[in-house]
Amino acid sequence: MPEARRLEALAERLRAVDPIAPSPGAKIRGWNLVLAGVTQSATRRPRVSVTRLVLAAAAAGVLLVAGALAASADSLPDSALYPLKGAWEQVRGTFAFSPSDKLAFHLELSQTRLAEAEAMIARHRIDLAGRALDALDNELDDAAQLVQTAKQNDPAAAAEMQSRLEQAIATHELQLAGLQGQVTNQTALTAISRARDRAIAALQAAEKTGPNDKNGNPSPSPNGGRGQGGPSTSPHPTPKH
Amino acid sequence: MRALGKAASDDDRPLIERVRKGDQDAARTLYERYFDRIYNYVYARLGRAEDAEDLAIDTMTRSLTRIDLFQDQGVAFSSWVYRIAHNATIDHYRRNGRVTLVPLENAVLPQTADPAELAVEQLSNEDLRVALRDLTEEQQQVLILRFFQDLTAAQVADIMGKSVGAVQALQHRALGSLERALQGRTNN
Repeated sequence: MPEARRLEALAERLRAVDPIAPSPGAKIRGWNLVLAGVTQSATRRPRVSVTRLVLAAAAAGVLLVAGALAASADSLPDSALYPLKGAWEQVRGTFAFSPSDKLAFHLELSQTRLAEAEAMIARHRIDLAGRALDALDNELDDAAQLVQTAKQNDPAAAAEMQSRLEQAIATHELQLAGLQGQVTNQTALTAISRARDRAIAALQAAEKTGPNDKNGNPSPSPNGGRGQGGPSTSPHPTPKH
Repeated sequence: MRALGKAASDDDRPLIERVRKGDQDAARTLYERYFDRIYNYVYARLGRAEDAEDLAIDTMTRSLTRIDLFQDQGVAFSSWVYRIAHNATIDHYRRNGRVTLVPLENAVLPQTADPAELAVEQLSNEDLRVALRDLTEEQQQVLILRFFQDLTAAQVADIMGKSVGAVQALQHRALGSLERALQGRTNN
């Protein structure tokens, strides 16, 4: 007989094997155990709904993000958390609505950038210090533009804002001058000098009458806009060490 | 009993939901639906009624009291229950120090046996059951599920975590091994 037919016959014979019935006692014993287990598990483990799971996951996510944000608050440019700090600052910026609040926000960030630059110079990360100083000047430029705009809309408020900007820049100027006296790295000295130039340029821009000149054209941003700092006629020449 | 494989997972689904909420009637329905077939499956593997009863009870208790762990994602509830039964059987083997069998295709079998001489219709049920337990774990499993439990190749593939083609190939080899085992017993 061919193998296929033999195996088919064997399969048919297997199908004809009668099932064995369990003893009734075993079945009852099993059901009692299942019943006890089902009752117990129903009372012990209330079913967790999908909504609750989603809410729990969302809460965990919020906690995680909040923790990371808190940890990033004091991070420096050489930290892995630093991009998170920048992102959070941008979010915070969207909640500053009035010109005065926006000015306070930009001045606060400028102070933060200056502290970061100092820390990076101390760690000999001159490249990161240079970026922090550029960012510092960008904040001051933004602050100066706010003052310019306010001069047209609310001269009284503009005067107060300009005073705050002047105080902030004076403080920065002192810190930058002190820093410039401490470092010997030529690249760092150039970056500090450029930052001082741009801070002064921002102050001068804020002192102008407004964002539009008499022909209705927007006045140029301080120091020619964001970018590479001061001209060669710097009032803060890089000291020769 | 021969309609073991006919229970569709669609029938189980509303019952499963009710059991999850603590519904005892739904648990009873699932228990009645699966206890006998699980008992038969385990009995075919072990050959001892007492052990088969204990493992069937254990399987059903685990299945119905931990039903929250069952996730209906492409695997039928019946497949899940069979997997629990299979794992319980393996655990039983381990606890009792069962020696791993050599696959029969590798075993030394009587070479003089003529396959044509085997009259399958004259074999007793007990002969078949005993010879079946000489096969490898997987061969036993596929033959029991396909022919004793009357499941389709697709259902068996679902339970064993294999493709349908692999199950069909395994079934073919298992039948060949069973035939040789029966011939060996007949000649002895």
